[in-house]
Amino acid sequence: MSRPITLALVATLTPALVALFLAATPFIRRRGAPAAALTVLGSVVSFGAAVMLLLSRLGQTGTELFTVPWIRSSARVIAEAGVHVDGVSASMLAVVCFVALCVQVFSLGYMHDEPPADFGRYFTYHALFLFSMNVLVIAPNLLQLFVGWELVGVTSYLLIGFYYKKPSAAHAAVKAFWVTKFADMGILFALLSLFVATGTFAWNVKLEPAVATAVTMLLFLGVVGKSAQFPLHVWLPDAMEGPTPVSALLHAATMVAAGVFLVVRADPLFVQSPTTRTVMLVLGAVTALFAALLALVQTDIKKVLAYSTCSQLGYMVAALGAGSVLAGFFHLTTHAFFKALLFLAAGSAIHAVHSNEIGKMGGLFKKMPLTGAAFAIGALALAGVPGLSGFFSKDLVLEGVEHKLHHVPYVILLATAFLTAFYMGKVVFVAFFGPPSSEQAKHAHEPGWSMKLPLVALAVLAVVAGYFAAPFARLYGEPYHFHFGVGAAVAAALGLGGIALAWTMFGGGKRENPQVMVTVERIAQSRAVNRLYEFGYRRVTLAMADAFAWFDRYVIDGMINWLGYFTIDAGRRARPMQTGFAPDYVLAVVVGAVSLAAWAVLR
Amino acid sequence: MSSHLLSIIVGAPALAALIVIFLPENGKLAIRVTSLIAATISLIGSIVALRGYDKVAGGQQMVESYPLIPSLGVHLSFALDGWGGPLLLLTGVIIFAGVLASWTLKTRDKEYFALLLILVAGVFGVFVTQDLLVFFLFYEIAVLPMYLLIGIWGASHAVPRAGPFARAWDFFKVGDKQYAAMKLTLMLLVGSAAILVAIFALYLKAGVNSFDLGLLQKAKYDTDLQIILFPLLWLGFGSLAGVFPFHTWSPDGHASAPTAVSMLHAGVLMKLGAFGVMRVGMVLLPEGARFWVPVVGAVAAINVLYGAYCAMSQTDLKYIIAYSSVSHMGVVMLGAATLTPEGWNGAVFQMVAHGIMTGMFFALVGLVYERAHTRAVPKMGGFATVMPGVAAFFTLACMSSLGLPGTAGFVSEFLVFLGAWKAGHYLWAIPGVLGAFVTAIYVLKATRAIFWGPGPSHDFHDLSEAKGTEWAAPIVLGVCLLLFGLWPRVLLDHIDPGSGMYLNKVVKAPAPAPAVHLTSGASPLSLTGGNAP
Repeated sequence: MSRPITLALVATLTPALVALFLAATPFIRRRGAPAAALTVLGSVVSFGAAVMLLLSRLGQTGTELFTVPWIRSSARVIAEAGVHVDGVSASMLAVVCFVALCVQVFSLGYMHDEPPADFGRYFTYHALFLFSMNVLVIAPNLLQLFVGWELVGVTSYLLIGFYYKKPSAAHAAVKAFWVTKFADMGILFALLSLFVATGTFAWNVKLEPAVATAVTMLLFLGVVGKSAQFPLHVWLPDAMEGPTPVSALLHAATMVAAGVFLVVRADPLFVQSPTTRTVMLVLGAVTALFAALLALVQTDIKKVLAYSTCSQLGYMVAALGAGSVLAGFFHLTTHAFFKALLFLAAGSAIHAVHSNEIGKMGGLFKKMPLTGAAFAIGALALAGVPGLSGFFSKDLVLEGVEHKLHHVPYVILLATAFLTAFYMGKVVFVAFFGPPSSEQAKHAHEPGWSMKLPLVALAVLAVVAGYFAAPFARLYGEPYHFHFGVGAAVAAALGLGGIALAWTMFGGGKRENPQVMVTVERIAQSRAVNRLYEFGYRRVTLAMADAFAWFDRYVIDGMINWLGYFTIDAGRRARPMQTGFAPDYVLAVVVGAVSLAAWAVLR
Repeated sequence: MSSHLLSIIVGAPALAALIVIFLPENGKLAIRVTSLIAATISLIGSIVALRGYDKVAGGQQMVESYPLIPSLGVHLSFALDGWGGPLLLLTGVIIFAGVLASWTLKTRDKEYFALLLILVAGVFGVFVTQDLLVFFLFYEIAVLPMYLLIGIWGASHAVPRAGPFARAWDFFKVGDKQYAAMKLTLMLLVGSAAILVAIFALYLKAGVNSFDLGLLQKAKYDTDLQIILFPLLWLGFGSLAGVFPFHTWSPDGHASAPTAVSMLHAGVLMKLGAFGVMRVGMVLLPEGARFWVPVVGAVAAINVLYGAYCAMSQTDLKYIIAYSSVSHMGVVMLGAATLTPEGWNGAVFQMVAHGIMTGMFFALVGLVYERAHTRAVPKMGGFATVMPGVAAFFTLACMSSLGLPGTAGFVSEFLVFLGAWKAGHYLWAIPGVLGAFVTAIYVLKATRAIFWGPGPSHDFHDLSEAKGTEWAAPIVLGVCLLLFGLWPRVLLDHIDPGSGMYLNKVVKAPAPAPAVHLTSGASPLSLTGGNAP
């Protein structure tokens, strides 16, 4: 086993061992602190291994492969499990382990007030998540990727439902699972079709055009679910019921980006279907704009960030649809840093104010300068302000889509960039500047070191990650040269313009609510997409189930019962024949004998 | 020693049943310990058999044979094939967990444990016997104790009188435990009658004066006869496998039965039906099977979706699990009907995966029922605060039920769907996959309703976490679910040669072409895509 393989296995299996150990030892897990320490320690090991792996990969473009037979059928191996190390998996592994470590350290402080048993359970889920996500990242074939994909889905379900006593959290967890599971049927069918067509679950095979379109469209259905693209985005805002660090890790930085990762991985398949790519480009752009509009009117700080995540994932999907894989993947990476930063900083603010509502914050910058600075850096990076990481990756995305479909997606994404800067500006000005809007906001203070440290680490990366675009591109084997062209200038101007507009409307304690916003709010409140699904669930699925169950109980089973009834009834009707009176029997004998004799004679 | 291994596995529970009958009525611990020892012997024997089976050589191993009725050619003969090991292991695990789950039984222990052991001896016998008549005898031994086990130790409930056939309520109380026991027994006996007719026809037409399965396999039956006999075996055995529309004994039966009996019945006995269809019906009547598989597969697809939808509407906890069995057994029959190696491997793997999963469900449901004193899901809520361990294991069983990768349920469902897709049966695979999604809806809906939400109301003051022997079943079965899911080759490397051996008899092999195809792909690295067309 070569060194890169060993490192990748260490990064993946360490959290698995931690999760297994904690699951098997409830007496340790329920004491809380030891479980947390063990999980964080495991993540440190994983992160160390991932960094060493990444460093060893710099300047190389080859792949390292290690597999073992996993499923055998008809005396041959039909599926393998193993490790596939290349630039994509090495960089993704490092990003995942880094953000996971930051979030876990942050959680030490954030979740500190939970009862020990819940504290331990929380960290056990985290270890399980890191393992599952790494299984997905290092997958050598689509089947293993799907295994990891489903496992992160379960940990997402468990973590969203962490506060399971709260009905809204329980509801959100189940909803997230159902929506993504529905989309995952697409991946399952894609795997079946791929195997029947090629005999493998590999992503670098040549397919017939029709098969390629079918397989990639089915895969993309799974991506739409996992990466919360319109119209399956409905679960992501609800998923904010989970603890805030969970939202940072799963529902912003890593798990929801798994869909994008899948497309990057299966690029050799997607290349073969221009149709699918066009669909992705359109849907990505639509999601980006639609989610950004909804983000405008949210008052819950986490909901703003959730819709913003949908919107940014739309950017990535659009970039991939335009064929610019590097742009999509690079935006995934920078987004992981600045969105995790935003969520954690928001968590720090929520922790201080005990509310998610930006209307109850205000003036936090003075009370919590580090949190405020961290949030501001994240917001500026997200808004695409020149010099920060988001600017570089967003520019790359815009460059990729520029000439596609008569510039329509390009214009949509530019408009979205403006909206993004505007809504982030609004959150920053309302929550962190102006006068405090509540008692709690007046007495807010900075959290402890365990919450500050991850903020600093992520903030540094959110600033500088953009300057690593060239080595990043080399990992992937593509050239990268940044040039500040007209497009970049326009995007930067739109970003700054959005912030400026937000300042004029919300700066210094102002609260303007123009007609446009009221209209958008009305659209958001109609929850049209959600209501469609609720109708499908209650009025169609459940109604069908009731009809089936009634049919089974009273028709199918009814017929069986009727058969029993008929048998008993027939017996009861036949019973009077046995009267018990001797003369009756004698009469029967005589009648029988006479008729037999008559039959014999007359025959 | 090893040459008598199979006799020991089958004989240990039978002998223990005999001992239990002669133990004093008040020797509660002795009865339990005797049963547990027998179950342990069988479990360890199953593991030894599984490990001792030579996967490379394949075929029938550990053969034993004793004449029973020489003039008719009936032998008590045991042998292990590729399928035998995993199925013995399943039975061993379930009876081991089942005895421990019955540890706190309160009434008429002696009869209960004796019947349980007799039942399981029959199950072990079916999986290893090589004589058709003895196969049938073991089958009946396994099925009949259920009547008493449900009728005496079961639980009753009321089903409201309604529907077009409501007159039946005049004669029997639908939902009553005696009703459930009677319905189960009568429906399965009708199936047995059909099987018996087919067995005699097979024996007489073969003309070899033997019930030996190996000899009967070589016999040439007329195509017409095969086409007539196959439905008898399919529906006869199929009624035990819950084949639509002969599944309705299952929800009432499983709901009324006590915990360990539900575990054994849904976990193991239903498998006998599917095993019979494949091992006897399809292997002995290949042409009949090929003629009828379009129907078998279509009905199985109905089973999967229909069972899942029926489960979704249930409010009684046990009915949810019972209907889920109807749905999951559909996956087994679906795999069998594909007549592909993947489908058959998946079908047998699903027998094990579903057996363990549903055994775990019933064990946990029993725990909840014992403490909550109700099975009405809408009344429950927030149980996870009081019984977090039970909630965790229940969630694990749910995940296997909905086919989550990493649990045993995924491997089997995936193989079955792969087989169906490969054979071009898209109209079977699509309902199958949809069924897995519908399963996700109803199991998580149930989990949320039972375990999540604000803490339990004051009606549930008896609620407490499981303790002592109650943990045995969830832990043993849970470990199996994860082990078989993460490393399926533990079972699959056994099942595969078995499927290959039997499938060769069912599917006419056109000359050497497929043999080349089967071996040429022995070392495909999925990344190279080497064997892409």
